[in-house]
Amino acid sequence: MNCSDVRDQLEAYIADDVTDVESMRIAEHLGRCESCAAAYERTRSVVADLKGISEAFVPRDRFVPHPAYGTGPAGGWVWRTIAVAASAVAIAAVGALSVPAIARELPFGVAKEFDALEDRAEDLQQQVDELTVRLEAIDGEQVAMVDTTPGDLAPEEAAAVQQLAMDFIRAQYAGDVAALEAMGTDRLKADLAARPGDYVREGAEGLTFAQMTEPALAEDGTYLIFVRLMDSGDWNESQYQEDFEIKLIDGRYLVDFMGMDA
Amino acid sequence: MEGYELVRRAQAGDARAFTTLVRHHERSLYATAYAITRSQWDAADAVQDALADAYAGIRSLRDPDRFGAWVSRIVVNECNTLLRKRVRVVPMEEPPEPQAFVWDGPEDGLDLMRAVHGLSPDHREVVALRYFRDMKLGEIAEVLGCPTGTVKSRLNRAVASLEAAMCPRTEEEVSR
Ligand SMILES: [Zn+2]
Repeated sequence: MNCSDVRDQLEAYIADDVTDVESMRIAEHLGRCESCAAAYERTRSVVADLKGISEAFVPRDRFVPHPAYGTGPAGGWVWRTIAVAASAVAIAAVGALSVPAIARELPFGVAKEFDALEDRAEDLQQQVDELTVRLEAIDGEQVAMVDTTPGDLAPEEAAAVQQLAMDFIRAQYAGDVAALEAMGTDRLKADLAARPGDYVREGAEGLTFAQMTEPALAEDGTYLIFVRLMDSGDWNESQYQEDFEIKLIDGRYLVDFMGMDA
Repeated sequence: MEGYELVRRAQAGDARAFTTLVRHHERSLYATAYAITRSQWDAADAVQDALADAYAGIRSLRDPDRFGAWVSRIVVNECNTLLRKRVRVVPMEEPPEPQAFVWDGPEDGLDLMRAVHGLSPDHREVVALRYFRDMKLGEIAEVLGCPTGTVKSRLNRAVASLEAAMCPRTEEEVSR
């Protein structure tokens, strides 16, 4: 290591942000180079002073969480987000994507289907884990965004799937069974006819879309998308999630399965 | 209680856990916001707004161990939003005595903050995240959305400027 390498690394060395090998090389150089040792001492002193004031500011206004604030942003921003983000980014569902026990108690489908969904959810979760979540301000609101590796789905394909999931949820809250039917496959229509109460939701005025995943395409051609939301009804103490399986049939995207998830 | 456990509880809706968590972070978050905005009042606003956002969104934080970096990012974003709004506003003179915060540090410590305020916005940001929020190069790069190498060179230049401002060299020294 020559002097200029050492100078370049000094700040990181002092902040303990170099590898052990680099650290030893730098220490060794500092032991035999007066000029670098002096530079080290100057930088170390400024750094120590900076660290010394990091806890010195005691704000007069202390933050107190207000329970009512936990309801999140007003509904609607996801629509803007989709317009902005359809091409390369999507909002992350960073909550639990596996199907928890509570979903199994709900009268949808059979346990086998949940298991299949859970397997695929794990794959999707792994993909989400590998993504970088960052917060972006969109129209002044903080939105959790995910950098996705481009490829899987065409932007318009992803946007259509996201749009269908959200239309479906809105129809659920509008209590519009005919609209739900029109958005479903035969399988969903049958389930809807048998158990309409499982689909209709209350508390529409508090409906807030919190986050949603980038749709994933399973091997059998089913799209998976998970949407986290809140409403002002019975579920309002926390967000919950709707898991969708969506199929492309004769050029139309249709909901094949919808399950609730904590 | 450990930070990890506090985050988990806050995520489960425990407001008191969130408050405790905030107490661990608020001073260095304020220092960060004050470094970036150069205004005591903007810093107070930015931290308040950021913590409100963090409280509302804490369920979306996947890895509780990343709370520190996550909340730093929210604060930096709030500060930059404020700074953009301030572009057309004539900056107010900072009062000689702090008003929005109580100073709990060494007597000459505020001189150092003034030196930080003399840096460019890019440099103020990296210095604050590095030394007030104690973040690694990689974490800062992630928060700012720029390459690690960029963070590193900004930090080197920022620290050099602070050295020059705080302890101007008397002798002419030539490196290497
Ligand atoms: Zn040297």
